[in-house]
Amino acid sequence: MKLHRLRVQSFAAVRDAEIAFGPGLNILYGPNDLGKSTLAEAIRLVLLLPHTSTGSDPYIPWSGANDPLVDLTFETEEQRFWRVRKQFGKSGSSLLQESRNGQDFDDVERARRVDARLREILRWGIPEPGAGSGKGIPESFLSAALLSTQAHVSDVLAASLADDPTTTGKDRIAAALQAVAQDPLFITLLRETQERRDEAYTDRGAKKTAKGSVFKLAADRVNEARDEKERLQKIVEDSEGVERRLRELIEERRHLDQEQAAAADRLAATEQLARQAADRAAAADRLRAAQDAVLRVQTMDQDVAAAEEKVKDLAAARSRAEGSVKDAQLAETAAGAALTAADETVRAAGLDSDMADTVARQALELRKIAADQAIGAATAAQELIDTASRADTEHRQREVEMKRAREQRAQAAEAEAAASEELHRCDLLQRAVEARAADKLAATARAQVDKETALRRDRSNIADEREATAERRAAIIVPPAGSLPALRKLATDLASARGALDVGLVMTVIPAALVKVRVRKDGEAPEDLGILAKPLDVEADTEVEVDIADLATVRVRAGRREAQERVQALEARWTADALPHLQAAGVDDLDALDAKLAEARDLDAHLKKLDGDLDSLDRQIAGLEGAAEALRETAARAEACHLALGETKLETLTADLDALGPDPGTTLRTRRHKATQAAETARTTANQAATAETLAEERARTLRTALDAAALARDAALGKLPSGAAREALQAAQEEQKKIQAELASLQSLIDARKKQLEAALSDAREASDKARSGVKTAQEALTQAIRNLASEEGRLAELRKVRAAADLAAAEAIFREATQHHDALPAPERLVLPDEVAAARDALAQAKRDLANVDRDMHITQGMLQQVGGAVARDHLRDALEALEQAESYEREIEADYEAWRLLLDQMKEADAAQASNLGQALAPAIADRFQALTQQRYQSVHLTAHLGTEGVLVAGKLRSPDALSVGTREQLSTLYRLCLGEYLQTTIVLDDQLVQSDDSRMEWFRNLLIEKARTFQIIVFTCRPNDYLDAAAMVTADGPGYVDSEEGFVRAIDLGRAVGRG
Amino acid sequence: MLKLLHTADWHLGKRFPSFPEEAQKKLSRARMNVIATILDVARRNMVHAVLCAGDLFDDPTPGADFWEGLAKIFRDHPPPHIPVFLVPGNHDPLTPESVWSPGHPFRARLPAWVHVVDRDDFTFEITPDAVLYARPCRSKAGECDLAMSLPARAPGDIKLRIGCVHGSTFDLKGYQTNFPISRDAGVERGLDYLAIGDMHSFRDVTASLPVPTVYPGAPEPTSFDEPDAGRVAVVALFRHGSRPRVDSEPVAFWRWLDVRCRSMNDLRALLITKDLERHVVRLHLEMTVTLAEESELERIIRDLEGTDATHGRAGILLVDRTRLRLQVGSADAFPDDLPPVIRDTVARLDRIVAEAVDEADKVKATRALSHLYKLVQRQNDASGGAS
Repeated sequence: MKLHRLRVQSFAAVRDAEIAFGPGLNILYGPNDLGKSTLAEAIRLVLLLPHTSTGSDPYIPWSGANDPLVDLTFETEEQRFWRVRKQFGKSGSSLLQESRNGQDFDDVERARRVDARLREILRWGIPEPGAGSGKGIPESFLSAALLSTQAHVSDVLAASLADDPTTTGKDRIAAALQAVAQDPLFITLLRETQERRDEAYTDRGAKKTAKGSVFKLAADRVNEARDEKERLQKIVEDSEGVERRLRELIEERRHLDQEQAAAADRLAATEQLARQAADRAAAADRLRAAQDAVLRVQTMDQDVAAAEEKVKDLAAARSRAEGSVKDAQLAETAAGAALTAADETVRAAGLDSDMADTVARQALELRKIAADQAIGAATAAQELIDTASRADTEHRQREVEMKRAREQRAQAAEAEAAASEELHRCDLLQRAVEARAADKLAATARAQVDKETALRRDRSNIADEREATAERRAAIIVPPAGSLPALRKLATDLASARGALDVGLVMTVIPAALVKVRVRKDGEAPEDLGILAKPLDVEADTEVEVDIADLATVRVRAGRREAQERVQALEARWTADALPHLQAAGVDDLDALDAKLAEARDLDAHLKKLDGDLDSLDRQIAGLEGAAEALRETAARAEACHLALGETKLETLTADLDALGPDPGTTLRTRRHKATQAAETARTTANQAATAETLAEERARTLRTALDAAALARDAALGKLPSGAAREALQAAQEEQKKIQAELASLQSLIDARKKQLEAALSDAREASDKARSGVKTAQEALTQAIRNLASEEGRLAELRKVRAAADLAAAEAIFREATQHHDALPAPERLVLPDEVAAARDALAQAKRDLANVDRDMHITQGMLQQVGGAVARDHLRDALEALEQAESYEREIEADYEAWRLLLDQMKEADAAQASNLGQALAPAIADRFQALTQQRYQSVHLTAHLGTEGVLVAGKLRSPDALSVGTREQLSTLYRLCLGEYLQTTIVLDDQLVQSDDSRMEWFRNLLIEKARTFQIIVFTCRPNDYLDAAAMVTADGPGYVDSEEGFVRAIDLGRAVGRG
Repeated sequence: MLKLLHTADWHLGKRFPSFPEEAQKKLSRARMNVIATILDVARRNMVHAVLCAGDLFDDPTPGADFWEGLAKIFRDHPPPHIPVFLVPGNHDPLTPESVWSPGHPFRARLPAWVHVVDRDDFTFEITPDAVLYARPCRSKAGECDLAMSLPARAPGDIKLRIGCVHGSTFDLKGYQTNFPISRDAGVERGLDYLAIGDMHSFRDVTASLPVPTVYPGAPEPTSFDEPDAGRVAVVALFRHGSRPRVDSEPVAFWRWLDVRCRSMNDLRALLITKDLERHVVRLHLEMTVTLAEESELERIIRDLEGTDATHGRAGILLVDRTRLRLQVGSADAFPDDLPPVIRDTVARLDRIVAEAVDEADKVKATRALSHLYKLVQRQNDASGGAS
């Protein structure tokens, strides 16, 4: 540290003062009471006291005009200037500025932050303001040692670092002492260790992560390996996902294959069962028909046999009836004889009177017999007529039945035809439904193909656009976007660095002879100035190059070397880092490069979007893969379906198809089922009607025969009577019979009246006669009935025989046997199968085929995907990438551990070194003691300092004596030597305020030489009222010269404070 | 008798990202160099044809250096020229963009006696009595059994039939998509020999069947876990129905050696391994060493590895130090005459080792001691050398 300039205003008794310090020994002299100690205090205050502190109160100007102001400029290291300006008091202020050239200062801190920063710069063991500091000027070992005032000359001997509030002072001294006390081997090892540590860490201990650093290289290697591994892992995951999907599809396909086979088996089994059932039903029908035929013939035989038996029975009954008639007639004859006998008896009893009665009764009896016979004949004829009439009626009924059966059969045939038509219609509609479905599938497939075509067209367009965009993008060569801020900063730094050189300069060329001069300014083209005869000023901004008569070229560049080197370094960086990008991009500046970057970014984004579009289209196209094949298949199927429709156009069936509703298959199945049932019913009805017709025909034929027989009998009967007189004859006969009976009753009453005694016998005879007549009548009626029955049965028998003769029992039995064998030969279905079940099995098979086709398509797509992703190839590459990542990570860990160890080693070496130097007293004491011995001509043997630089005393005659035991002069001299040693080790300014006033001339002379010697290595500022103690007369300030005089090659400066200080 | 040389899995252009750059170049070059060796073996054995069963390039679009290099080897190969058949594998499938594509310049540079199997129905009459059937991979993955897709033997055909495809005979799940090859495909298709490629170790996967189905392995190994790699198969076929004889011949330059050293003696013994310069050595250091031993260990590794000025004894060296441990503390390894500040440094590091709770701190301090030890040793060596 060196002080450059001090300016003081309104500070205690000093109104104003301004001092420019020299780099070495500064002797500031003036008479007592001039304000020398005030200036020393001003330096202490401006460096240590916050402007708000009441510690400045003693320095309020005596005039009370303004607040005290101190302005100090100092330098802490090469090219690092500071300027602190403090105006003390309640309305005061603080300002800290920094400069690289000592001329142009920039504000760094203000107010309270100024003191914090100053203490950080000084590192004197004084904490930041507010951290336990008091109201006065903060003190520390170094503040006492370096800035001690006249009143505290020997304070340093009583102080030590142990009392410092912070360790910054101790650390600074330790570091300074270390630098001069290290072992050469240790220094070598320390340097190597430091170099190794610095390869990896910044000064502040952070890891270096810039390009080229070891950690960055290792991390880049890891990141690169990790990126590659993650990229490959993603490919492998994708691949495994696709493989998994493919395995699932293979499994699903196997399953569906089995399902399809099972569905096909089920359909075949169901159809076989249905066929078996149909065959069995047909055979059963045929068998039943054959059985019916046989049964019919057998029934005929039975009917014939029964009819023959019945004819026999009826013939026997007729014979019995004839016998009964004869018996009854014999009984009647006997009864008549008995009655005659009774009558004879009565007549015998009353011959005369009864003779007429008897004659009358006999006449009446004869008339009665005749009437009875007439009644019998008429009754028989009437019965024959009635029989013929009934036969005719029945015959008509059979004919009506036959007609009805025929009509029923015709109706059934019509119904069957209608049902067949419906079935045909159903078939047609089924084909139409299939055709329409096929058309729909074909349309869908066509739409898919059209879509695929459109997508491929879009893809081609986008691919073209992408290619064009990629070409445009490839033509733009730009650095990563993140590098632009760095380039801008580089440009700014370069401009700033160049600006630092742009300070302007004027070069004067003074020719000693006539010379030819050529000048080039600021890199412009050289200007030939011809022969130069007189001085020439050349003014430029940054650089002047003067070529003098081919003898020499003088180049003058503005700015300090560091600034120029900085520009060169930045230009080199610009050439290396920025220029290639600009040239590659074909632009001249960063703005244009930025625009190019934006354009590249836009193109990248556009490319990304196009890639995304292409991916999307590829996925869509992949999803449509197989559409053309599907279209061919569906179109072929639709064509086949249309061919199946024959000449019927699908359009003509639109209304019918629409009427089928949303589920035409089910509707058609229902309709087909109904039509099948209707056809079955119609066929059954027709069969029944045919059977009924046959029976009716047979019966009609039988009845016709009976009718014909009855008609013959009737006609035979009617032939004995006039036509239509039978009933009249019967009626007349019955009336005659009634009349006769009435006459007989009258006669009988006459007889009764006349022959009372004969009444009982005659009554018995009459009753017997009546009974016999009644028996004859009954027998005759029975005979008539038997004859009629016999005739009827004989007629029926003849008809049956005729029908039977027409039937062939053997043939019917042969057909029956063959039908039975055929029926038995057919396998019986395990169970009943309905048409719905067959249709459901057919649908299930179709569904299974569709599912299988879908899986095949998915498999095709997945296989395509798999072919792109890599499979085992990707796994191989991933294995390599994993190994590489492992290696890189291992290397990174190794590097990290290695450099951590280097850092630890460096820390421990430094700590060991610091520990070795921490006994500061041991390090510093010899230097002080050497000089103290020289000063005192070896009177004192050594100086003992504590580890914290506390002064224990001096060794005199083997005995350690406290500094207090020394004389004031010796103590002042020891104190000054101590402070000079510290200043020298720390290479910093020390301020001595009349330190050696108690020294004799010889010691003063010794000190004067020492100060002049040390002034070449660090700055010493001496305030004194006795300049002759330090300066020769020639080195003094003269009254007519400037306020200071430099001597000893500029290392000694004499400053007359009487001229520099204005007092208030 | 028909003689064939069967090779596969050249993997030209394969990268070895876990190796240092120079080693990667050595390994990559060796893959190219071995092809000339293979052709020499074919000539020496007087084979009738050379079958190359896939994965000849590591990628379907390898760098020009590789396909140009391969074409040059073929072109420069002196006569007599026997037919060579190159089959695309799953690493280098036949695609329109691939090196096998008829329009690729590689194809134009191949001599006429080198045939690329670029058709699914590829057949070639090697001799009047022997026919080759081959089929290329057309993608990086697929579940098609290329061997089973070769034509079956026609009734009455008594010629020798040789199949050549690329794929995996693994019957495990997960390998179905790596062009699976049925183990009895040779028998099923009526072949007399089925030449396949994919596995990098030499292996006859059908030793119990009458038709050999053989992986010849990679002619140069690609990793440490490929036993019996570095070979080609030389096949002698006598007549149809008779099992051919299959011999393997070594062709590799590099031998891959995985070495575990559990003591300094193991490490010292490694130095006397024969032909170490033709070995790719992966050295697993699994031991605990003192500072002095570590110094020797590093010297041996430098000896094996080589320096900028000297060749290493090992051809290529990878060192795995993850199980190398330093004996903690200095253990009085440092000389006594060191300056106090260095002795103090050693003592401080020893103290850290002794007092550290965390094992990592002990390791770090021990490593710092190791650094210091080596620095001191080097200084001593330098001063000793100077004197």
